[in-house]
Amino acid sequence: MFLREQAGLSAIADPDEDLVRRVAQGEPAAIQAMVARKLPRMLALAQRMLGDASEAEDVAQEAMLRAWKQAPKWRPGKAKFDTWLHRVALNLCYDRLRRRREVPTETPPDRPDEGPAPDAGLLSAELGLRVDAALKRLPDRQREAIVLCHYQELTNIEAADLMSVSVEALESLLSRGRRALRQSLADLASANPATRRAGAERG
Amino acid sequence: MTMNAERIKQLAEAYGADKRHWPQAERAAAEGFVAANAVQAERLMFDARQTDAALDASPRPMVSNALRDAVIASAMAAGLSPKKARMVWDRLILWAGAGWAVAACAGVIAGANLTLHMTSDARADAVLYQAQMIAVDDTEVLG
Repeated sequence: MFLREQAGLSAIADPDEDLVRRVAQGEPAAIQAMVARKLPRMLALAQRMLGDASEAEDVAQEAMLRAWKQAPKWRPGKAKFDTWLHRVALNLCYDRLRRRREVPTETPPDRPDEGPAPDAGLLSAELGLRVDAALKRLPDRQREAIVLCHYQELTNIEAADLMSVSVEALESLLSRGRRALRQSLADLASANPATRRAGAERG
Repeated sequence: MTMNAERIKQLAEAYGADKRHWPQAERAAAEGFVAANAVQAERLMFDARQTDAALDASPRPMVSNALRDAVIASAMAAGLSPKKARMVWDRLILWAGAGWAVAACAGVIAGANLTLHMTSDARADAVLYQAQMIAVDDTEVLG
């Protein structure tokens, strides 16, 4: 740390630093801990970016493979390992999204949600499916912003850096994405009596 | 940035109603504003809270045992194993040993050269002395 400060490098506190070092030494317990810590995050990221379980598994597996290869070469202090891993996984997701656009599929894009009819007693599993479908219909950049900030719980600075945009641009993407989601799921809110009451009180 | 109702609305619209997701630089000021203007702030954050609840309904994908095992196996395939670490250590010891052996050989050679160099004057004197001896008559020596 002292050397880093002497060299004028801004050291970044990385909670994964010790784990990465142990992974690089081939410690089985560290490898397992890394899998437990990162694999669910990478799978969730890919699943929500791609909306496809099988492709998400492929991306998560490839991202972890790159993590194994990177660990012995990792130089701590320049970036967080988690942020680097997110960048790898996002690039893999965008490769696949690009390929999808190049190969036209039969899935019609941007259609109104034809999920279950509005019902106050909608099962949470069905609600989850509707939300996933609505997320999938968002423009890629809006979805990415929501996935990074809401689900992956990255800070606004980390998310903006990953997306190569300013924090203001990130906020704009987030606001537009969340508004589109709300509109897409508006029927759920109007079907819920409690929500209607609260909405009325809100004026 | 000034913290006011407008900024609270912007924050909620972008990051949601959960203040843990708000920018760290503005969080304290925002929490202060929300605490001081609870009713107004709650109204500003109502839509954001609804959207948060919807987003949270999306299930978090579960990692299957097959995927977990494949990823662990890929670590071994990528060359990460204690055996590899040991091999690196063993190689290091081997190189260190070889280094010591080379240094020892170099020492022996240097020592031999040094000895030759240091005794050369004495040997030259002896040769000159013997050359002078030739000029002496054998009878003088043998009597």
